[in-house]
Amino acid sequence: MKLLGLMLKNIRRNWIASILASAATIMLVLMVTLVWSVLSFLDQVTAEKSKDLKAIITERWQIPSQMPYSYAATLTEGAARTDDDIRPIDSMTWSFYGGTTDIKNRTLDNTLFAFAMEPQKLRTMMDDLDSLPPDQAAELDAAIAKMDENRLGTIVGLDRLEALGKRVGDRIKLFGINYRGIDLELEIVGTFPRGRYDKSAVIHRDYLNAAVDAWPREHNGEEHPLAQKSLNLVWIKVPDSDAFQKVADQISSSPYYSSPAVKCETASSGIGSFLDAYRDLIWGMRYLLAPACLATVAVVMSIAIGIGVRKRQMELAVMKVLGFRPRQILIMVLGESLLLGTAAGLISSWATWYLVNNLLGGIPFPIAFFPSFMIDDGALWWGPAVGGGAALLGSVWPAWSACRVKVSEVFSKVT
Amino acid sequence: MTQPGLLVLLAANFTLPQLAPWSLAPLAMGVVFALLLAVLGRVPLRYNVRNLQVRWTTTGLTAVAFVIVLGLLTMMLAFVNGMYKLTEQSGQPGNVLVLSEGSTDESFSNLGFSDVGDIELQPGVSRNEENRPLCSRETYVVVNQPVQVREPGRPNGRFTQVRGVDDPVISGDVHGLELLPGGRWVGQAGVQKLADEQEAIEAVVGEGIARELGRDRLPEARAKAKNPERIDVGETFPLGGRTWVVVGVIRSSGSTFDSEIWAKRDIVGKMFGKQGYSTLVLRTESPAAAQTLKDFLNKDYEKASVQAYVETEYFASLSETNKTFLYAIVVVTAIMSLGGIFGVMNTMFAAVSQRSRDIAVLRILGYSRLHVLASFLLESLVLAILGGTLGCLIGGLMIHGRQAASIVSSGQGGGGKFVVLEMLVSGDIVAVCLAIALVMGILGGLIPSILAMLIRPLESLR
Repeated sequence: MKLLGLMLKNIRRNWIASILASAATIMLVLMVTLVWSVLSFLDQVTAEKSKDLKAIITERWQIPSQMPYSYAATLTEGAARTDDDIRPIDSMTWSFYGGTTDIKNRTLDNTLFAFAMEPQKLRTMMDDLDSLPPDQAAELDAAIAKMDENRLGTIVGLDRLEALGKRVGDRIKLFGINYRGIDLELEIVGTFPRGRYDKSAVIHRDYLNAAVDAWPREHNGEEHPLAQKSLNLVWIKVPDSDAFQKVADQISSSPYYSSPAVKCETASSGIGSFLDAYRDLIWGMRYLLAPACLATVAVVMSIAIGIGVRKRQMELAVMKVLGFRPRQILIMVLGESLLLGTAAGLISSWATWYLVNNLLGGIPFPIAFFPSFMIDDGALWWGPAVGGGAALLGSVWPAWSACRVKVSEVFSKVT
Repeated sequence: MTQPGLLVLLAANFTLPQLAPWSLAPLAMGVVFALLLAVLGRVPLRYNVRNLQVRWTTTGLTAVAFVIVLGLLTMMLAFVNGMYKLTEQSGQPGNVLVLSEGSTDESFSNLGFSDVGDIELQPGVSRNEENRPLCSRETYVVVNQPVQVREPGRPNGRFTQVRGVDDPVISGDVHGLELLPGGRWVGQAGVQKLADEQEAIEAVVGEGIARELGRDRLPEARAKAKNPERIDVGETFPLGGRTWVVVGVIRSSGSTFDSEIWAKRDIVGKMFGKQGYSTLVLRTESPAAAQTLKDFLNKDYEKASVQAYVETEYFASLSETNKTFLYAIVVVTAIMSLGGIFGVMNTMFAAVSQRSRDIAVLRILGYSRLHVLASFLLESLVLAILGGTLGCLIGGLMIHGRQAASIVSSGQGGGGKFVVLEMLVSGDIVAVCLAIALVMGILGGLIPSILAMLIRPLESLR
């Protein structure tokens, strides 16, 4: 306790150095928190699960995957043909529809890219939406119910809604970009909870399919160019990796899917392939940026503690005379640094977590198909740990020189 | 390793960036400013040097903080610069790229057969010696390619860009691409029999993707290969369930084509289910003619609905990802620089508090407050110049000329291209980094220097 009191007193006494070292640590731990949150999220989505895993079925060779919609019925059943075959627990289909509200002056702001899917699957198959807090879940459920009643309904992410300059309840007309000539009248029935789907939108798959089916009636019996390519992805959920392997085998051995051929892979593997394009960027964040921030914290803390130790040479010598052992002095100096670093790390990571997750709605760093990243809950403990750890590392040498202070040398200089 | 051995290794791995003299302007300005402070300050320079020497650990650690922050910044900017250079260097200003209407990316474009035949006959399209239109008819697909030799932590597949062209020689001409010696363009048949009588699809590969494919080779094949770095003419690779044989390697032009595989369009289209054309690239006489043709196709051409771009404009539109990364770097720089500024400030505050008696003596000796301010600011500036220069140098040497994988795209829903780019340290980057170092040094040193200036001599000596 006595040592702790001395530590706190020293921190308070050198308040300028303490504040500046803490401020530097706060900034750098903020950086580490941002970087590790992005990396942690990417690690999570690419980590293979053993239970309740999701798989993606896409065209085997080409991206963007474009399969005929006739594949949907059997693929959502995992291509099961006999009673003994494994069937997925759940499934959903995705078709991508891009449209603009102003066909003559198309900009990113007036463009909307939407998943055409079954609205009910939003709550059972979409990541994060399957585990919402009760109030957000109720709000989304209400919007889904409206989409079920009204095929023209659309749920839009908050950022997209703002970019479009629309509100819930407004109607919009989208002029098809990829589905050329297929224009959709939509009614905005709700929004996604703030977070991962801020830039996304969902429309009813039956509405898009009906529009594609209606095309030949108005075009001399000719099909729309995307009529046989309107199924982009099928998602299935299986109980475990054995079931996944069996379903993947069922699909690859099925004679139904030859033109185009399809492939079934775990969601983590599919996402991993997309992220491979960013591998050097991710490597740089993991092995250059974050370590450089930690090294800088250590250096800054080393400077601050080193200065403090030099200023207190006499005091340290007196402490030795009073019976403090070198080990106790070492612990005292290390403790000061640890306290400062931990406190700065705690302030930094907790503030970042609160600001980014609750006020900013995520870190706007769109890579792959992730528009933004939330601060990982783990940051609440790793922030203080990182701050404390780096500070401790930085103070090893000053602490060592503090405990080796020679009383005779210090007093010989006193005049 | 012996010293000469180390030097050879350094020479082999590091490429020195070409820098314009003006890029060193911030460094020169910093040095001039420091000299100015030294002259105006009147406090002997030896005093500052001696102080930096005496407190060598603090001095060294502060410089290390500068080195880390500026070195990292140099590396990050070199990455984004490589991306910008890639999109700038892709495309010819005299070419017009035609996609189907509404398509922002080649992956989503579907042009009709009849449309293609008519468009290439439009006035303004240049012709070759045989009076054939200089028009590259292309089908562009992104293919999921299983990786043969999976590196730890890497997925078991990658997305590879394949461009099917009707006439590879004309397409090469239109895009201004050359092959490395020993190669040839894909033949009319587009396939050839290998020594084991197996039929292989002929392919011409960009240098970037050639390196990626080179890493995929089985260890025994790599050991025997004439070029261990990349796949070369005569070597084969699997794609789409077929064997492909390299007949030529495209000389690196720093463009997106470096990351593509080219083959005959009719083979590519059938294999990957894209029978129509995705892209038409038309050569015109000049950039002005390209603009005219683009305007004509977008506004007045009525036989088909197409979207025409001057090719350079199209590739410039793929810089949305670059912007995202650049914004991220600005944020990272701001945060790290602030951290650095606090670090420098700490050092300088300590310097001031340790030397309050010195300052008092200086003041009593007749040095004015401004002289004291200049003396302390000079120390901070010298630290910044030394650390910043060293950081830029180390970061530049480590990263310049190295290759990295990335993606360029036009933003949400706009598709994108998977590319292998060369990271480049340019004069702008050096200038920006040195300027940031100076700002950090001045901001970090200013408040402590003002504090030093305000010290009352008698009180300090008491």
